[in-house]
Amino acid sequence: MRKTLALVLAALLLVFVGGRALAATDLLETGSTLLYPLMNLWVAAYQQAHGDVQITTQGTGSGTGISQAISGVAQIGASDAYMADAQMKNTPMLNIPLAISAQQINYNVPGLNNVHLNLSGPVLAAIYSGQIQYWDDAKIKDINKQYGSKLPHQQIVPIHRADGSGDTFIFTQYLSKSTPSWAGGPGYGTTISWPSVGTAVGATGNPGMVQTCQNTVGSIAYIGVSFLNQTDKAGLGYAALENQAGKFVLPTATTIAAAARALDAKTPGDERISLIFAPGEDSYPIINYEYAIVNPKQGDAAKAAELKKFLDWSLESSGGQSEKFLGAVHFLPLPASIVAKSKAQIEKIQ
Amino acid sequence: MAAINLSVRDAAAKKAASPPILQRVSAQAIARVVTGVAALISFGIIFLMLFFLVAYAYPAIRFNGLGFFISPIWNIGNQYGSGTVTRAGFSAEAGASFGALVFIFGSVVTAVITMIFAVPLSLMVALSLVYRVPRQIRPLANALVELMAGVPSVVYGLWGLVVLVPWIGGALAPWVTAHLGFIPFLGGASGSGNGLAASVFILALMVIPIMVATTRDVILAQSTSLFEASMALGSTSWQAMTWAVVPSVRKGVVASVLLAFGRALGETIAVLMVCGAAINSFPQNFFSPVNTIAAVIVSQLESALTDASGMAQRSLAELACVLFIITLLVNVIARGIMRGADRREGAKA
Repeated sequence: MRKTLALVLAALLLVFVGGRALAATDLLETGSTLLYPLMNLWVAAYQQAHGDVQITTQGTGSGTGISQAISGVAQIGASDAYMADAQMKNTPMLNIPLAISAQQINYNVPGLNNVHLNLSGPVLAAIYSGQIQYWDDAKIKDINKQYGSKLPHQQIVPIHRADGSGDTFIFTQYLSKSTPSWAGGPGYGTTISWPSVGTAVGATGNPGMVQTCQNTVGSIAYIGVSFLNQTDKAGLGYAALENQAGKFVLPTATTIAAAARALDAKTPGDERISLIFAPGEDSYPIINYEYAIVNPKQGDAAKAAELKKFLDWSLESSGGQSEKFLGAVHFLPLPASIVAKSKAQIEKIQ
Repeated sequence: MAAINLSVRDAAAKKAASPPILQRVSAQAIARVVTGVAALISFGIIFLMLFFLVAYAYPAIRFNGLGFFISPIWNIGNQYGSGTVTRAGFSAEAGASFGALVFIFGSVVTAVITMIFAVPLSLMVALSLVYRVPRQIRPLANALVELMAGVPSVVYGLWGLVVLVPWIGGALAPWVTAHLGFIPFLGGASGSGNGLAASVFILALMVIPIMVATTRDVILAQSTSLFEASMALGSTSWQAMTWAVVPSVRKGVVASVLLAFGRALGETIAVLMVCGAAINSFPQNFFSPVNTIAAVIVSQLESALTDASGMAQRSLAELACVLFIITLLVNVIARGIMRGADRREGAKA
């Protein structure tokens, strides 16, 4: 009996000590479901080279990412939205851009999912506030002359995120910047007070948005570009959006880079800036920095060191910024000037 | 001598009988204290929970006032603006409005419609389990019911999201709105499948096994003599069940219905997965998106945690208080009904 007990204890000790030796440091990344596919690629590759750190990733929504980074549960809070001034005043955090992302507007309209409809901020605002209810509305026909006769008399189901989301933030920011009545009404944020529309549906996470849009004929949804492969597989169409110059552009590497170029010189030291509705003929209007929200005072020196190492790696052109990672999720690498600013912020982590 | 004798006899008697008495007394005392403390703890925990919830929600209760119960607009305010709005000495971000009417309405409506479907169905299933199902397959049927009652709600929710919602959105809702649309509440937009119908379906799936299991036990506890006597008097088995068996187990049935109603009111994750998370809008028909207090607390919590003013979190706590009070009210009303039934039966006897 005593022998067995001793054996069990010894085994436990071995597992404990061995486990400690194998993974000296645990890091938790949680938040944005838009950044989640990239984080998975990054962490898998990073851990092969760095066995001494154990990084766990979770796609829980930007709202959770920000709040868990603040509370200290997570070391990296992934967010598509930068933190608001009022939040920063309560708890100063680092908002570190890791990549450039975009968002497409998907729709499920029979017969038109294989083409790209033109949509504008004011039309989307009217759809999401219930003023445009059918796909053959004159306002939609006006900007889609070539498909005028093909637009069906089908009720529109606007889908929005039910959870706190950076995708909601950048989508509603596009509506606010392009449509004064939206700016004065619902406004923007990671969660907003959606106008009362009888058919509107809330869905959870980008995967939930894809699924609901796929299941619902006549629906429209805003979905992160890292889910473009899934929305293509689901047979959904995506729109060309009207930019500040009045041109309709698709989310491609060229148009996303053009929008990023237009604003990278304006990015401040703390890197909290909206890239939405950037000027320029070729600029795609809904792009954003993908942020790691990090507490500058980590407390645990070992964790802080590993955290800095991982974040630095993610900004290396031979590391996290390489095409094999970013290309797979349709993200773009950060320009050199932004990488320098991000690295300066990482230096502040203690 | 006599005294000595007496005392000796006394001592002998004590020796023979007193240890058991002493043991019994002390065991009783201990049991009384232990059960008393346990009862106090369970009572105290509920009281403390409500107390801290109300204390935490107090700024929201003051800030929201009556608007909480009559406004359908839920808006945590402009987080990225610079202004704040102050009411009753407490402030939130500019534009904030915490109206819970949509969620309170949604909770009550989904639970009530669920019970309208679930109560008759479970009663019939329970009766047939006791009187109709052949003895050979009864254990299997009973095991199935218990299995269904034990399935975690998230499993029902996932099934609802993957199977039920696409079916409602793609087949049931379009058919019903087209063919039965003349009936109020069944016409209009067929929607996406996420909504009231899916929530009711999932909730019914979850509460029916609970009601069947408890009602069946109540019927079994009743002797079969009522049923047999009624049959002997020449009634059909349907009449025997509805006139003799059901009235005699009314109290047990009411209790099981309340248990199920409480479950339906409080169910969170499965409803969240299929309800369509309506915000600022009431359901227009049976297929419209809806939202419940429990579901909205979960789906809004993360955003609320990022509210710099903290008022969104406190308003969610106020919502939790409301759910608490609704559940309490349901219990009190049910007790009243049962006491009323007791009195009537007493008067008859």
